[in-house]
Amino acid sequence: MPLRFAPVDTSGQQRAAHGAPPRADFYWLRLAATGLCFVVFGIAALLLGLVILPLLSMLDGDRNRRRHRARAVIAAAMRAFIHFMRAVGVLRFSFAGRERLGLPGQMIAANHPTLIDVLFLLGFSPQATCIVKAELFRNPFTRGALRAADYIPNAPTEDMVLRAEQELRDGQSLVIFPEGTRTVPGRALELQRGAANIALRGAARLTPVHISCEPPTLSKHEPWYRIPARRAQFTLRVGDDIDLASYRDTARPRGSRALNAHLATLFEHGRSGRESRSS
Amino acid sequence: MTRAEITDLVRDTLVELFELDPERVVPEARFDDDLEIDSIDAVDLVEHLSRTFTKKVAPREFRSVRTVKDLIDLIERSLAQ
Repeated sequence: MPLRFAPVDTSGQQRAAHGAPPRADFYWLRLAATGLCFVVFGIAALLLGLVILPLLSMLDGDRNRRRHRARAVIAAAMRAFIHFMRAVGVLRFSFAGRERLGLPGQMIAANHPTLIDVLFLLGFSPQATCIVKAELFRNPFTRGALRAADYIPNAPTEDMVLRAEQELRDGQSLVIFPEGTRTVPGRALELQRGAANIALRGAARLTPVHISCEPPTLSKHEPWYRIPARRAQFTLRVGDDIDLASYRDTARPRGSRALNAHLATLFEHGRSGRESRSS
Repeated sequence: MTRAEITDLVRDTLVELFELDPERVVPEARFDDDLEIDSIDAVDLVEHLSRTFTKKVAPREFRSVRTVKDLIDLIERSLAQ
């Protein structure tokens, strides 16, 4: 679908000549609402990071209690934001099996088609921690909240691996995107091996989540204003736990390569499943 | 332990952990490009070598390791200390 990457043009005739789908579902209102969502997200993130979470952290409790409180507040804000996006009409969503998320020591591994995937996963597994792109710890809008929640910055280092392992062993659930970054549409899916390695080290269970967004939007290198012709439908599906025991029988580098390949097949399968349904 | 013994043990370890063809594990082989061993694998490798040689290898020292020869040098140095 190379047309998706063509520059936005404003002429309906030209769009039709290129075979672009007709704009539906209150296109211009959705465009305005999408802009509004970005603004609201920025303001909410700043409020949380600079005011609400610092105030909360002054309440008593040890480090664990404080970060749990922060994570719960952030998750509630993410849920509220998802409902806000739905209310203003930029998306619809369904999330099957979400009651199975947030168990002790559970690694939640998902594919990563859009910018907002993490909102669904953290929003609906409230105590979970997450491995987050390191740049967001320096981004002025997000750094305050991320630090208060004590999420784990992504880095291909021993520190990150061992810290994630420890959090799982301590009974936290951990959200991770094994691709490391959003999927580039049309390119083969490639997973970093860190997720599989951490799962074998410390996870009590590994639960895959498959995310799809139709029509695709908010993917990598896509500016916010390039909204889809129709309202986006997010479909999230919690898969069956992956049996880790067999992968733990072999030396870890080999086990994690095998588990990684299995995860890649699962995600790839979910992706092709979606494409075949939509065509 | 002689350098030859260390070399053998390192090669055996790499072959076992990463299913490498022993012929690929030459001293000048680079971990990232030639052996496809990344920094996450290196964590496992360091843990394994620490057990094999019953000598703690600091991951920080491991950062300067680029080739199999670098690794053998590092272990030789650590054992000599």
